[in-house]
Amino acid sequence: MLKATKKRFDIKITQANSTVSDTFELDKNIVKVHGVLVTSDKDDLLYYRGTQKIEINKEEFFPDNYESKLLMSGINVAPKQRYYDLGGVAPGNGRVQIVYKDLDDGRTVFTAYRVSLYLDCEMEDEL
Amino acid sequence: MMKEGVIITKISIKRQGERKHFQIKLPNDTKFIIGVEYGGRLISKSDAIKFAVAPIAAPTIEPTALGKEYPPLDAGTVEERPRGLFKRNQLVGELKLQSSEESNWFYSTDVFVADANLSYGDFSNAGFNVNDYTHGNKRTEEIVKVDAESTIIQGWYLDALGKTQKVDINYEVTIYVWINVEE
Repeated sequence: MLKATKKRFDIKITQANSTVSDTFELDKNIVKVHGVLVTSDKDDLLYYRGTQKIEINKEEFFPDNYESKLLMSGINVAPKQRYYDLGGVAPGNGRVQIVYKDLDDGRTVFTAYRVSLYLDCEMEDEL
Repeated sequence: MMKEGVIITKISIKRQGERKHFQIKLPNDTKFIIGVEYGGRLISKSDAIKFAVAPIAAPTIEPTALGKEYPPLDAGTVEERPRGLFKRNQLVGELKLQSSEESNWFYSTDVFVADANLSYGDFSNAGFNVNDYTHGNKRTEEIVKVDAESTIIQGWYLDALGKTQKVDINYEVTIYVWINVEE
């Protein structure tokens, strides 16, 4: 039986104007990735300063310099509609790569922050 | 099989009233242009820039703390706001795109960065500051449908932000062109 599950992966941004790359592995019993969402503990920094590339199974879904604000949803968005719809991607080898780039923006002052990548997945109940 | 992709183009604006002509090169296997969206980044910090400061909702009700009495029932009543309180959004520029194959622009928009009246959407005024990054809507591309046989898009951008504030503002506009490619 298939059931919905949400996965969260975190990266830490500790230096201004830096690039942080990390690769995460999805559970083997995940069969589809339906959506993606990014959030942060300091939303304003992510909103104004962040861009990222996201790959799933070595396939690029969002290229370099894709602004994080385009993948964020505020609390005005209904919880079930907050994820960016990928349309049910097969996870393949299950590797999810994020290459996050922090860039100065005149409206913010840098301080270390966390970026969380959420994936809306569908998994098999039992292997 | 068709697959979606996005081409990202950045335009750098440095002078007030600056006009930029640019081209966006699409991959050869592009079939259609299916959507356009934009974003931006302020590069130089200037006191003249007030457009991005999000409006702050003034709390009218004290948050109820433990041990305190609940506010009276009519405390949450929404007062009618004077019309003068509404602010117009700061226009950042104008953006137009044209496919080399077709006549006329297929996309034309006024570029805004922030919604200056976002806080008026929260009638509770409960003290939770309203900002684009907390209360913003999910952003989606504007849908267009244009043949991409020529694989070149001509673009035109005109600064309005520096012009209205009469100061040179250094910022970047990012244009996202969503395409359908054949696998």
